Amino acid sequence: MRPYRRRRIENLVAISLCTLSAAIGLFWLFFILIDVVIEGVGALNLALFLEDPVPAGLEGGGLRNAFVGQLLLTMVAALLGVPVGLLGGTFLAEYGRGSRIGRIISLLSDIMTSVPSIVIGTFAYAVLVKPFGHFNGWAGSFALALIMIPIIIRTTEEMLKLVPWELREAAFALGAPYYRVILSIVYRGAAPGILTGILLSIARVAGETAPLLFTSFNNTFFSVDMNEPVPSLTVTVFQYAMGPYENWHAQAWAASLVITLFILIITLLGRFIIFRRYGKWKTL
Amino acid sequence: MGKESSLSGSLFYVFTVISAFLVILFLLGIFYILFSESYLAIREFGLIGFIFSQEWDPVRDLFGAAPTIFGTVVTTLLALLFAIPVAVGIAIFVTEIAPDYVKAPVSVAIELLAAIPSIIYGMWGLFTLSPIMAGYIEPALQQTLGRLPIVGILFEGVPMGIDLLTASVILSIMIIPLIASISRDAFNLVPSIVKESAYGVGATRWEVIKKIVLPYSKLGIFGGVILAMGRALGETMAVAFVLGNKHQITTSLFDAAATITVSLANEFTEADTDTYLSSLFYLSLILFAISFITLGAAKLTIQRLQRGGAR
Repeated sequence: MRPYRRRRIENLVAISLCTLSAAIGLFWLFFILIDVVIEGVGALNLALFLEDPVPAGLEGGGLRNAFVGQLLLTMVAALLGVPVGLLGGTFLAEYGRGSRIGRIISLLSDIMTSVPSIVIGTFAYAVLVKPFGHFNGWAGSFALALIMIPIIIRTTEEMLKLVPWELREAAFALGAPYYRVILSIVYRGAAPGILTGILLSIARVAGETAPLLFTSFNNTFFSVDMNEPVPSLTVTVFQYAMGPYENWHAQAWAASLVITLFILIITLLGRFIIFRRYGKWKTL
Repeated sequence: MGKESSLSGSLFYVFTVISAFLVILFLLGIFYILFSESYLAIREFGLIGFIFSQEWDPVRDLFGAAPTIFGTVVTTLLALLFAIPVAVGIAIFVTEIAPDYVKAPVSVAIELLAAIPSIIYGMWGLFTLSPIMAGYIEPALQQTLGRLPIVGILFEGVPMGIDLLTASVILSIMIIPLIASISRDAFNLVPSIVKESAYGVGATRWEVIKKIVLPYSKLGIFGGVILAMGRALGETMAVAFVLGNKHQITTSLFDAAATITVSLANEFTEADTDTYLSSLFYLSLILFAISFITLGAAKLTIQRLQRGGAR
């Protein structure tokens, strides 16, 4: 055994290093957050939400089109992705529980969650943009839905598996068919968790840029026509931040702040629901 | 139970089956579509030839993947190199060192930071980090490490802040919360009775961390690192702003470069010839294959080890 003194010193050094690295990491992370808040708040005004962009180089204008477009793209993506994810997760946790194919699909969903979002964008381009010859909102929402589906499948599966098997047996004993049991008993028990999964998947796609770059593309005009290019906040931020104009940069910061706040609120809401239901902060 | 009820039961069952199998369908679909779209490039430059070709010349319609694969691998590895110690440090701090009233807020903060979209990191990188790197950090590195033999070539050139190093730093900042939160969950799974036994025989805090906590949770940390690697490999927006999209293989970290994702983001809508577009699709296929294979292999390894550990 090494001398006590040396062990004490080694302990002190190592613990200090850990604390230091924690401080460094947290420093950068808060630096980003505070920077976004300061720059964003400075550029925030009512016109940002109420006016459409003015021609490049001119002062003023807003991003109303991008806000509406972003909401539209995300909502359509959720309409496409949530039912598929929910039902798919139901299969994995109920009918396919313990089966080989269930395990394989579960593993594939995990991998699909990590498929680079830009790759999904190129896929959506090949299936929904190329055949029609022009960028359109459906392709963007389709790409976002593809990102949502595996997330919702996996969280739904996990949450349904948390519902005790005895509850199902009690319902079987009353003569309820399996799908009734799932709809009225299992879903009810797992509802908060499923909702959190859906919220987190929405938070994830709300900040996605890469899959939209060449699917829904961008549009400087107000448009809710899904057959045409639909503007989105994230793509607008990319374009504006790379652009040469000061007021574009300011609007990009403001839009970033709004996206960040939206995502943080949704994430917190999701965690809060889980907290209320299970009494602890659980990571999904 | 009437006839109607059994019908809706079967319908419900069929819908769940279809939804679950859509995952397989989509993955196969992505693979098939990307492959058929890149067929032109494969025919032109060869399945393997494209991967090793350093050419990227839209004017002469010649394309190769080597520079972008190089950029992707270098930024990912550097990001992991920077992020792992810091993230594990944060996790150790949160679980083993910090007092209780610090733990909860820091934990929640890390999880929220993991939710911040990558485009925010990218924009911050362009406007805030890149000037800092160009003005202070990179010249300082050049003055010190740059003077050493051999290592010196990593720090040659004029520091502009739009380069491999800046991109890697942003990537690492982005993946820190991911690794940290997964490692923290793994540390929390260490039974406190084991730790208390170690304290009981007189181990210092660091000895408990080094000999009990880290070995016990290495699988969890590995899982977090793999997930972060997948994220870094496929990350687009965090690096798109600060990498410069220059198709070249360089020895200096202060040079602009390109990753697969960055060149897709910048060039996809500009590709004016079929070969160009097809080459970009092939890049996408390569990225898909890299991330699918590494993540799949890692997940399978983890599953196998976990089952082995449970026995």
